[in-house]
Amino acid sequence: MSGMPSFSFTVNGRRRTVEADADTPLLWILRDTLELRGTKYGCGIGVCGACTVLQGNGAIRSCQTTVAEAAGKKFTTIEGLSSDGSHPCQRAWLEEDVSQCGYCQAGFLMEACALLARKPNPTDSDIDDALDSHVCRCGTYPRMRKAIHRAAKQT
Amino acid sequence: MTTRRQFLKTSALAGTALVIGVRWDGDLFAVEKASAVFAPNSWIRIEPSGKTILTIGKSEMGQGVRTSLAMILADELDADWSQIDLVQASPGPKFKRLGTGGSWSIGGSWMPLRTAAAAARAMLVEAATARWAVDPSECTTANGMVTHGGKSLKYGELVETASKLRVPDKPVLKAMSAMKLVGTSQNRLDGHALLTGKARYGIDVHVPGMLYASMERPPVRGATLKRFDAANVHGVERVIAISSGVAVVAKNTWSAMKGRRALITEWSDGPNAGFNSADHMKALHAATEAVVTRAEGSFPESADAIEATYEYPFNVHAPLEPMNCVASVRGGKCELWAPTQAPNRVQERVAQALGVKPDDVEVHVTLMGGGFGRRLNADYAVEAALLSRELKQPVQVLWTREDDMRHGHFQMAAVHETSAVVKEGRIAAWRHKYATTYHNVNGPPGADEQKDLAAFYRDISWGVHDVPYAIPAIETSFGHVETPAIWIGPWRAVYSPSSVFARESFVDELAHAAKADPLQFRLKMLESANDTFKSGDLTVDRARLRRVLALAAEKSGWGSPLPAGHARGVACNVFDGETHTAYVAEVSVPDTPREGLGIVVHKIVAAIDCGVVVNPRGIAQQVESGAIWALSNLMNEITFTNGRAQQTSFTDFPLLRMSGSPAVIETHLVPSHGEQPFGIGEPVVPAVIPAVLNAVFVATGKRIRRLPMRLDA
Repeated sequence: MSGMPSFSFTVNGRRRTVEADADTPLLWILRDTLELRGTKYGCGIGVCGACTVLQGNGAIRSCQTTVAEAAGKKFTTIEGLSSDGSHPCQRAWLEEDVSQCGYCQAGFLMEACALLARKPNPTDSDIDDALDSHVCRCGTYPRMRKAIHRAAKQT
Repeated sequence: MTTRRQFLKTSALAGTALVIGVRWDGDLFAVEKASAVFAPNSWIRIEPSGKTILTIGKSEMGQGVRTSLAMILADELDADWSQIDLVQASPGPKFKRLGTGGSWSIGGSWMPLRTAAAAARAMLVEAATARWAVDPSECTTANGMVTHGGKSLKYGELVETASKLRVPDKPVLKAMSAMKLVGTSQNRLDGHALLTGKARYGIDVHVPGMLYASMERPPVRGATLKRFDAANVHGVERVIAISSGVAVVAKNTWSAMKGRRALITEWSDGPNAGFNSADHMKALHAATEAVVTRAEGSFPESADAIEATYEYPFNVHAPLEPMNCVASVRGGKCELWAPTQAPNRVQERVAQALGVKPDDVEVHVTLMGGGFGRRLNADYAVEAALLSRELKQPVQVLWTREDDMRHGHFQMAAVHETSAVVKEGRIAAWRHKYATTYHNVNGPPGADEQKDLAAFYRDISWGVHDVPYAIPAIETSFGHVETPAIWIGPWRAVYSPSSVFARESFVDELAHAAKADPLQFRLKMLESANDTFKSGDLTVDRARLRRVLALAAEKSGWGSPLPAGHARGVACNVFDGETHTAYVAEVSVPDTPREGLGIVVHKIVAAIDCGVVVNPRGIAQQVESGAIWALSNLMNEITFTNGRAQQTSFTDFPLLRMSGSPAVIETHLVPSHGEQPFGIGEPVVPAVIPAVLNAVFVATGKRIRRLPMRLDA
């Protein structure tokens, strides 16, 4: 397409350049353009957390980050955490059998990774503070809490 | 209309067809000609490598059905659990009645799947005995292997021989005591895919040449389009009006969503624009014409009658994955990728809309990011098919969160008027009038249902007519209020949530009026010469209910001292005559309400009797899920003004979040018993709210009779 600006950033360790309208949320670039569909759409207004990815070690809402803002930055999506499920959070999630429908889980997982990066041994209250910006309609919260404590022990 | 019975009639798994009189021929007994694999029926394929591919005929929306159905098949087959692969069934000649709802997946699939697996196992044994020239009765099977003395053959080595054998008519099932997988806790088979971004939901489907659409739908049910103006819509491929709305079609999702924001539509609102939920609530209160659904003894016109009225608002499913579907219509054929609970209904409705034969519509069932009943209908698939036909290209229609909330198939609002007479510490008379609306998403009651409206209304009055307590005089009734202005459809636990909220809250009121312990009061009211009774089609077993109450009491330490400010509440229920549940909730109510729920739910203890226990861990997950679902239900509602749902997202329709989640949710199972498992996904919802609110009453003296909960009201 002509006339569209191009933006470059890094996703899962790989440099990517895309042509898109500057206001396109990173979420849709990840999903539609880069075919990294593990990152989910839930609300589009930043209140459900399903689209959460890592920027460096911090969690961001990819539906609230435009491709223009993403330029030059480094992101990790669920696909980049590990493809074999070997990341401590993924392992802990599997061991606690957290997921139900699973749709929101990538967002929670990325948020948990960011939490553990800044607080290697989070308290229940830390977990509440970090994860309260996400919703899970299936109600996997109790198992998630256990999984985060378990992952903290493994890291 | 989707009553439980009718749902089963129209949507049961193909395998359950045996139960409802359709022959299994061409399904269970069809041996594929190719002998490279052993495929004795629609459910099982074993490859020479030993890989065992099980077909799952139920849709996965988080309830764990792909795992538990695989467990049933693999156990009866004596398959090697590490060699299991799953494929999802699509509607077609082999699968004519796919559908997932009513918490009937495990109950309805249990015997058909075991029979299918037992037949396959018998054929594999026969294949081995032919090689060894021994008697089948001397062989054993385990872990994907047939063994005789010191000799063993893997199933994979037997597939060629087995595939040439006749399928036995009446295979012998394992004894319950010989079950190895059933009854053990197994992790979700899809867990790895769900946590690595590999799982594919409806929203993730991409087919070559696919366009993306966002659709502006009528703002009020029945509104018609006057005109649309796309002059300011840029960067999109097409803007098209179809019967269900105006679609903005683009090369990617964002362009479609953004384009839609610039779209101007004008509608004729039609007859439903006067609908307001506040007026509707008044109409429910005023519903005077009531059909009696159960009558025993006579209610004394006593001045001492205790009365209370409970109100339950409209609600919406709000699965995290909004409605969506990918459709590709070409040359009179349609291919769909649908996150659906009702694949055959999708096939039929799309065929009808396109004017083609159902066989010309192929439906691929994807994983679902939640369903909860919303995906039992086909509206999201029909509009995608119609749009693809216009575009002559594959297209994904993705609903926004706002679309999903505004165009829901809502949980009906209800009003419950209860009254009772308490004498000598017992309930002497009970009256419960229930006013609500039937599910209208599939039209009014059919001709058969019109013939016996009392039976029809009883069928949608679970939790009311099947009041389990032994009361000499009982009168329950149903008052219908038509609600054509909005779509009403099945929601998790269907008709039970409002009814059990009212019934179990009111029983608690009576216990307190009688100055009795609410648990002991219930146990006493469940003592009767007849432990089991039938109300309509439902069987209630008071002994099972007493047992789960006693178990919940024991495990929660009912009556033992609590920290200052904490209080306990109890409630119980029999879900649709099947799974029996009892809950004890422990709460405290801070002086300054907590953000979100307002109260603190410290602990929920559930005691569950679901007959045969298939996957204890899966059941515990559902107990946790049901508790959190119900707590969200205390916080939110959908209201209507001028025919329009007022809530749009998780801002004004709040859901419980991590900090509001109970610190402890315990599941205690009555040990597996009998020969039949019952459902769990829905039975774990209804008794939670009254258990919590009964605790709130103890803590505060405030009786909450209206949802959502307002402590300051």
